[in-house]
Amino acid sequence: MSTLAYYPGCSLHTTAKELDSSFDATMERLDVELAEIPGWQCCGNSAARSANRLLAAALPANELAKVKDDMKLEAVAVPCAACFNRFQNANHAVGDEATATDIARVIGRPYEGGVKVLNLVDVYHDQVGLEALEARVVKPFRGLKVACYYGCLLTRPPKVTLAEDPEYPVHMDAVVRAIGCAPVEWDSKTDCCGAALSLCEQGVVDKLVRKIITNARERGAEAIVCACPLCQINLDSRQAEIKKADGAWVDMPILFLSQMVGRALGVGEKQLGVTKTMVDASSVLAWPDGGVATPQGLSR
Amino acid sequence: METGVARTLSGALAARIRAGSGVNVYACYQCKKCTTGCPVAPFADVNPAQIMRAVQLGDEARSLDSRFIWLCTGCETCTTRCPMGIDVASVMEELRILARLDDRVRKDMPFAGILDLNYRSFRRWGRLYELELVVRDLVRRPKAVPDTAKLGMRMLSRGKVRWLPATGSPRQMQRISQAADRIEGQERAEAKAAAAGTPPGAGGASTRGGAS
Repeated sequence: MSTLAYYPGCSLHTTAKELDSSFDATMERLDVELAEIPGWQCCGNSAARSANRLLAAALPANELAKVKDDMKLEAVAVPCAACFNRFQNANHAVGDEATATDIARVIGRPYEGGVKVLNLVDVYHDQVGLEALEARVVKPFRGLKVACYYGCLLTRPPKVTLAEDPEYPVHMDAVVRAIGCAPVEWDSKTDCCGAALSLCEQGVVDKLVRKIITNARERGAEAIVCACPLCQINLDSRQAEIKKADGAWVDMPILFLSQMVGRALGVGEKQLGVTKTMVDASSVLAWPDGGVATPQGLSR
Repeated sequence: METGVARTLSGALAARIRAGSGVNVYACYQCKKCTTGCPVAPFADVNPAQIMRAVQLGDEARSLDSRFIWLCTGCETCTTRCPMGIDVASVMEELRILARLDDRVRKDMPFAGILDLNYRSFRRWGRLYELELVVRDLVRRPKAVPDTAKLGMRMLSRGKVRWLPATGSPRQMQRISQAADRIEGQERAEAKAAAAGTPPGAGGASTRGGAS
């Protein structure tokens, strides 16, 4: 049993509830104890960095200081990719002495870095480990073809995220392989989905989403696996609108990595949040029992 | 956009950007790699490379007042690919901050309003109150009601809307944000004063190590 500090972030309690519940369930099955940061606050998201740089660095630094000094833990799980990026940015920012001094003045105590920040993929890939994960699988996906979608904030910019291969990351692919999926090679795995522009520039987002999903489909994927609440909701929710303009559009199920891992570990439907997605993903989560019957999916 | 016409030649904007973001915009030699990878450039008035050039020339109209800075999603592709290691996305971020400070945020770019509402919301409650953000946005932009309502209904039926705000620790948030306002405000005022009259190419002094 290992213990990680846990920072859910705002989305996991609203738009991405299924990420929260499925992540919790997988951690329980993988013997990782999650200790939620007491009184955690918003990381500042993209709004803080567009208004006040010091606040944008100080908010996550304040949470990291809690993890280090109050909780005495070495690592924090941050399943939201946007929060993860802000936390890593705080760790990067305190490397500059003048910035670290300003941050300490703002949060009332020094934070000089050192807390490890794990995103959704890192938790399974590094904290749990692929072998340990594979050993716990009770319902493998038996060759289901999926496209692992990393989006922007898990890997970019690499000086902040410390991603090894920001243009073509493969660690999520390794995780889905451990649960029996066959990840496809595709081109759009780190393309931008349009992020919060979906609140106001839907035309732009629809074009970006359409390109990403079309590429995944052309490469044979039966589903797209995400590790970011905003990516998931954009890819999932915009398909209804895309379909209106294109009658031939075929829906693509969009799931969180934690839902896929949870299914493989035998987590129940409620905690998986099967009914939370906009595009019906129940056939993917039931695969291969009553799953989508396409020959490509049986290739393994 | 007409090319080859320098509207202004001042280093003041570049100096402010350097002071705030640590980025020296004069390192850019216009290879346009940022622009090739940019997901929103096809939908904007200018592209990232043109913004970089405008900033080098001190052309505020084509940078601070561009539509582009309010379409940038912060995807960081430009920063990741720049052969000179320039944090291009941080320049876009800095332009948004400066537009705010100088009170010249474009009123016709809805994303600017959404970022502002978002900023006020999490500062008020300690956590982002999404319903408040959306409702306030719709009050400002009634034309957006049909699009937002459709998504809202889908979210509602899946239990993804939180009616009441989730308060983190509002007092803690208040203390931190007020301290940040005070320190950052002071440093930015000093940087602005110091930047005035900077000749182009001088770049100005960096007070930060490129934190964004």
